[in-house]
Amino acid sequence: MTELYQKLEKIVSKNYISDSIYVRHAYSRVVDPVLQGVPDIVIRPKDAQEISEILQVANEENIAVIPRGGGDCEFGGSKPIENSGIVLDLKRMDNVVNLDQDNLIVTVEAGISWGKLNDYLCNFGLYTGCLGPGSGLTASVGGGISHQSVGGGGCAKYGSCTNQLVSLEVVLPTGQIIETGSQANKHSKFPFNRFGNGPDFASIFCGDNGIFGVKTQISLQVFPKPPFASYKTFLMPRKSEEVSAKIFTEMRLKGIDVYDSMYFMDLLVRVGTEKGIFPLWDNLKRKRGIMFYTVEANSDKELDGKVNQLDKIFEKNKSEELGSEIADGNIGKWHYEDQGHWLIAHNLWGLIPGFTALDAECHTPISTYPGILKDVDLWDVEHANEMEQILEIAGMRPITGSGPIILIGDHNVELTTGFTSFESYIDGEHYEIIEELNIKLWKSLLERITKHGVTWYMLGDILSRLLVEIGAFQPEYLQFLTLVKKTLDPRFILSKGKFNFWGDT
Amino acid sequence: MSELKHLKSQWEAVMSCMGCGDCGYAIRPAVDRYLTCPVKEAKGGEGFEIYFSRGRMNVLKSLLLGQIPLSKELADFVYQCSECGNCTEVCHMSQNEYIVLNTSKWIDHVKVWEALRQDLIEAGFAPLDKHGKLIDYMNDVSMRNPYGEEEANKFAWISEFPEIKEEGDLILFGGCTMPLRQVDTLKSMMKIFKAAGREIAMSKNEWCCGSIALRIGDQNSLIDIIKHNVEIFKEMGAQTIFTACAGCYRTWKKDYPELLGEELPFKVKHITEILTEMLNNNEIPFKPVEGSETVTWHDPCHLGRHMNLYEIPRDAILKIPGLKFKEMKRNRNNSWCCGAGGGVKSEFPDLALDISTERIKEAIDTGAQILTTSCPFCIGNFSDAYKEMEPKDQEKINIIDIIDLIAGKI
Repeated sequence: MTELYQKLEKIVSKNYISDSIYVRHAYSRVVDPVLQGVPDIVIRPKDAQEISEILQVANEENIAVIPRGGGDCEFGGSKPIENSGIVLDLKRMDNVVNLDQDNLIVTVEAGISWGKLNDYLCNFGLYTGCLGPGSGLTASVGGGISHQSVGGGGCAKYGSCTNQLVSLEVVLPTGQIIETGSQANKHSKFPFNRFGNGPDFASIFCGDNGIFGVKTQISLQVFPKPPFASYKTFLMPRKSEEVSAKIFTEMRLKGIDVYDSMYFMDLLVRVGTEKGIFPLWDNLKRKRGIMFYTVEANSDKELDGKVNQLDKIFEKNKSEELGSEIADGNIGKWHYEDQGHWLIAHNLWGLIPGFTALDAECHTPISTYPGILKDVDLWDVEHANEMEQILEIAGMRPITGSGPIILIGDHNVELTTGFTSFESYIDGEHYEIIEELNIKLWKSLLERITKHGVTWYMLGDILSRLLVEIGAFQPEYLQFLTLVKKTLDPRFILSKGKFNFWGDT
Repeated sequence: MSELKHLKSQWEAVMSCMGCGDCGYAIRPAVDRYLTCPVKEAKGGEGFEIYFSRGRMNVLKSLLLGQIPLSKELADFVYQCSECGNCTEVCHMSQNEYIVLNTSKWIDHVKVWEALRQDLIEAGFAPLDKHGKLIDYMNDVSMRNPYGEEEANKFAWISEFPEIKEEGDLILFGGCTMPLRQVDTLKSMMKIFKAAGREIAMSKNEWCCGSIALRIGDQNSLIDIIKHNVEIFKEMGAQTIFTACAGCYRTWKKDYPELLGEELPFKVKHITEILTEMLNNNEIPFKPVEGSETVTWHDPCHLGRHMNLYEIPRDAILKIPGLKFKEMKRNRNNSWCCGAGGGVKSEFPDLALDISTERIKEAIDTGAQILTTSCPFCIGNFSDAYKEMEPKDQEKINIIDIIDLIAGKI
C-alpha cells in the first residue's frame, strides 16, 4: 500500500477507497467505449470536507484528480486521460439537502441523478424544468452543471440546466470550499439568487468540464409542473431538414413556449425503421423526417390556444400529423408520458454488437443546422476509403449523420453529429486499425463541424484537447482560460489534461 | 492467462454495453422503475461500480482485451451478484413495443455473468469456499443435494402421504430446499391436493436439479444430472412435471432444454400454474370466509424476470377468498430481488439479509399483513431477515408461501 493511499484512506476510511485493479478498470471508461484511462485509485467521498482534504493531499503529491458524476459523458469526460490519477466517484453524495417550497429552490448533493431528483420533486408537484441531459436517469446534477447539459427534456422551454442554477458549493482544486451567489453573503440564510455580491462566479463553474472545481452542493430553481400537456408528431415533407428549421424558427417567432420539440432527420427514420428501432414508424408511407412537439399549460383553454398555434405552423409547412397513440407513430407521447426523454439518445446503441456512435454535442443557431448536416454528408463521402476499411472488418459501413435535433434555449438547437463505428474487439480479435480509424475520423469530423462556428458544450477528453490542438480558440480566450486555471489550480491537478492543461508532469 | 472460452462466447453482449449506467441508477416512475441493482444498493456508500452491471461490463471489456487477468480477487467481486436479471430489464427498458432499444437483442446479463463464472471455475479461481462445498454435496452419490444431508432425508416426508403414486401423468419434482428446509409447505401442498381430489406421483430417485451448480458456473456434472432426471420421469410416464421451487422450475424449463439441445418429452409447470388451474376450476374447498386480510406478492426472480411468469400467481391470489391484493411499489419485471440467488445467500449471507430486509420493508409499506411468494429461497431468506427485524416491524407483516396461505384456508 502506497503512502498516498494511506493518507487518502485516513480521510475517507477504508470502505470508501480502492486500488483494486478491477475497481479501477470499472471506472476506466465512460459512455464512449473508445477512450479509456485507468485510475490509480477510486474514492467515494461523503462530503465537501473530505473532498477538500483529498485535493490537498493530491496537491502535495502532484497527482491528478478526476471528478465523476454519472459517468455519462460520451467524450471521455469523467475518466483519467492517461492511466493515472484519483477518480472521485461523487455518486455517494446523492441526497436532497433541502427543498425550499416557498421560494421554489431545491438544494442537492452533486451526485444525485436528474431522475432521482425529479422523482422526489414530483411528490410536491414540482420539476426541474430542464430535465438535464438525455442520460438523466443516471447522469448527475453536478455533471449537468459541469457540462451545461441539455437534451433530456424540457429544454425548448427552459434551456440548459445551468439556466436554473441559483448557487453552488464548490471545492476549489487547492481545497478551499466556497459558495456562490447569495451565499457569498455570510448572513444569507439560504440560497435564493445566483447574481449579485459581485461577479457571477457560479458561471465559471458552469460548463467548466470539471477543471475549475468539484461541485458538491447545487441549488436549482424548481417549477410547478403544469397539469395539462399535449404532444403531437408529424411526418415532414421533402427537404425536411430545411422545413424543420423553418418550423423551429416560426415557433420562436410566435413566442410559443413549446416545452420540447425535436426533429429526426430522414436518414435516422429510414435506418431506424430498417433496423427495427422504431416499429412505430414502420407503416409510414414515406420514410422521411419526423418532428414532434410537446407543450404544457395550466388550463385546457391555454393548452388549446398553444396547440392551435403550433398545429397551424406544421400545417402551413405541409407536415402530416400522425395519430395520437405511440402505436400510431406519436413518439412525443412516449417522450413525455413514459419519460422517454431520458432514453431517446439510447436507441442507436447496440444496433449490432460492438456498435458505437462517435459523435459530439453542440449548440448552433436554428438557421445553421441544415448547412452543417449537408457538410457532414460531404465529409462522409470524402472519407469513403476509411469507412470501407471499417466495413470490411465489422461487416457494416459506418453511418454518418445526426441524432434527433432538439430545440433548446436561446433560439438554438442541440445538434448531435457523428458517425457510427465499432469497438476494436470483434469476435475474439482485437483490431488496432479500428482504434486508429475511430480516433482519426472522430477528430476529423469534429474539426470540420467546429469550423462551422458551433459551441460544443460537453467537451470531455477528446474535444477539449482537440479545440486547443486545431487552434479553434481565440488566442486571447485561451490565454484567459489558462490564466484562470493557473490561478485556481496552480499544479493543474484537477481533470488533468483537459484543454491540454497538463501542468508540470 | 485463461482462454476466457465462455466469456468470449458472450462478446456480443459485452461489447454492446455502452455504459449508460441506468443499470445502477435508473429511477423512472412512469414505468415503475425505482433503481435496479440490489447488491449495489445494499452496499450503500461502498457501492463502487464493480458491484453493478456497468462497472462489471467495463471489467469484462478489459479482460477480453487482455488488459487484466482472471483472479480470486475478481471472483470475490463477481459472486456478489444474485443474478436477479434486473439489469437486463433496465437495459431493455424502452417499455414500449414500438420503440426498441437494440441492446435487448444482444445483452442477457445473467448469461454473461454465468459465462464469467464458468471461466473463473475453469481457471481455478472459483468456486468460492462455500459454493465448492454445495457442489461437492450435490455431486456426492450418498447425498445428491447441496445441503449435505443424506439422500434419504429428502424423501422422508413422503411416508406420511401414501396417496402419492409411483407413476402418473402429473409428477412432482420435489427438489432439495423444500423437503430439507421447508417440508411443512410440501405437506400443505398435499393437503390442497387431497382436498381437491387430485392425484400426483413422485420419484424417490430424483437428484438435485443442478440449479446451484449452474448459477455458480460449474457445469461439469450437469449433463449427467439432467439425463438422469429426465430419464426417470420419462419412465414414470410423465405428461407434466411440476415443482414448488422457482429455481428448479427455471432450471427444468429453461436450462435443461438449452443444455440438452432438445425439448423435454413432457411439460414443465410451476406449482402456481397448477394452483391457478385448480382455483379456476373451483376444485379447492375453502372454509367460509371470516374478515379479510391484505396480501402482497413478491415476484421471485427465477419465476418472473427469468421466466416471465408474472400474472398467474396474481390470478391465483385474486381467487383466494378473504384476501385483498396490493402490489408493492416495485413489481413484476421491476421487482426487487430477495437477495438469496446466484449463490449470494451461501457465500455472502449478510449481503443477502440486507437485500431481503429492504424488500420486506417495501412489503410493509403497502399496508399488507401478508407477504407471500412461491420460492423456497425467497421464503428462507425473508424468514432469516424477518427474525432480525424489530418486533414493531415484525408485527406488521407475516411471510408465508402461497401454498401455506391457501392450505390455511381449507
